[in-house]
Amino acid sequence: MVLDSISKIIAQFPNSLLAIIVTNVILIFGFAIGKLALYKFENKVKFMALYTVFISVVLVLYFISILWFSISNLYNGNAVYAAIFPIFLFLPFIIGHFASYERIHFYTNVQILTLIISLLLAVSFI
Amino acid sequence: MGQSLDFEFIQENDRAVLLFHGMTGSPFEMKKLGRALFDAGFDVYCYCLPGHGTSPVSIKTVRWEDWYQDSTGHYRDLTKKYKEVYLGGLCMGAVLALAIASEYKDVKGILSLSTTLFLDGWTIPWYNFLMPIGLHTILRYYYSFPEREPYGLKNEVLRKKVAALQKKNTVALDNYPMSCIYELVKMSRVAQKNMYKVKAPVLLMHAKEDDLTSPKSAEFVYKNISSSIREYIELENSYHLVVMDNERDFVFSKCIEFLNRISEYKNEKFEVLV
Repeated sequence: MVLDSISKIIAQFPNSLLAIIVTNVILIFGFAIGKLALYKFENKVKFMALYTVFISVVLVLYFISILWFSISNLYNGNAVYAAIFPIFLFLPFIIGHFASYERIHFYTNVQILTLIISLLLAVSFI
Repeated sequence: MGQSLDFEFIQENDRAVLLFHGMTGSPFEMKKLGRALFDAGFDVYCYCLPGHGTSPVSIKTVRWEDWYQDSTGHYRDLTKKYKEVYLGGLCMGAVLALAIASEYKDVKGILSLSTTLFLDGWTIPWYNFLMPIGLHTILRYYYSFPEREPYGLKNEVLRKKVAALQKKNTVALDNYPMSCIYELVKMSRVAQKNMYKVKAPVLLMHAKEDDLTSPKSAEFVYKNISSSIREYIELENSYHLVVMDNERDFVFSKCIEFLNRISEYKNEKFEVLV
């Protein structure tokens, strides 16, 4: 019953919004797990390589979904959403620019925080 | 551990060669070339680059500027003691040598072996197209590109030995941390930008089937330097580690021949011992 009503609500969401929510959630959990596993699995090179490739692919999908969401909002006349969301395209690179190995946990937290903000902004669209 | 990997072959010659090892490597890989050059009448120096030869963590904290400053420091020290100072490098070490030569006009000559300006060799994984994302986000501190067969070697006997060493994790790392690749990419960009400033004679040697970086890097250097003396030799029977692989003796003899050709202080005792 509850699942039915949830799926009905979700079905009303635009596809671009769904894409942003899904990729955001995966990335938040991905980075959180990565942060916890970094030192534990640092020597398991193949595992960390697969993990990073997975996160990179999701990041690409996240960027695509942001563009998709922004363009569709621009098309529908929601200029504010169309203007705000492209900022999240650059944030991972800006954070990456300033990051260092010594402070990787801090910068991972910042990355997670920006993802949470973009998720909340996307959800506020509903 | 870091300091013990350095080597210096000194016999009060007028000319010296400063060698640079490759990314995640150590002076160990340059030792045979160093010995051959020494036997040919050159004093030879090779130091462990910052972040190398110690713990796997230290290589993740190092910046390309550290490699550059450390190497230029060694170069300046040698210029005070010798009439002629040559630079030689393998892989990242070759990029470093070219970067130094673009700033210091008194470099007498450069041995640029398996120059790594672009990571486009045939062992680069299929997901290489994701590299910009890995490099420019925090993911670079999570990812390490696993070193895999053929370990830069076409010679199968040597390859087995290196594989055994990798398992023991003794001399070099068994992976390339993405953060280290990031620093190499940054240094490569600076080197590419300043390539036209290189006026010293350059000998480029690159394997046709280099597994890590295609001959495109060597061709880029050959086309863009301003040196009036430049030579490019493509190796047919080696992979990336040309100083250890099947044609190492040929590489050594060509290096000695080239340096002797451009040197004003020819050593009469010189003979190709390789």
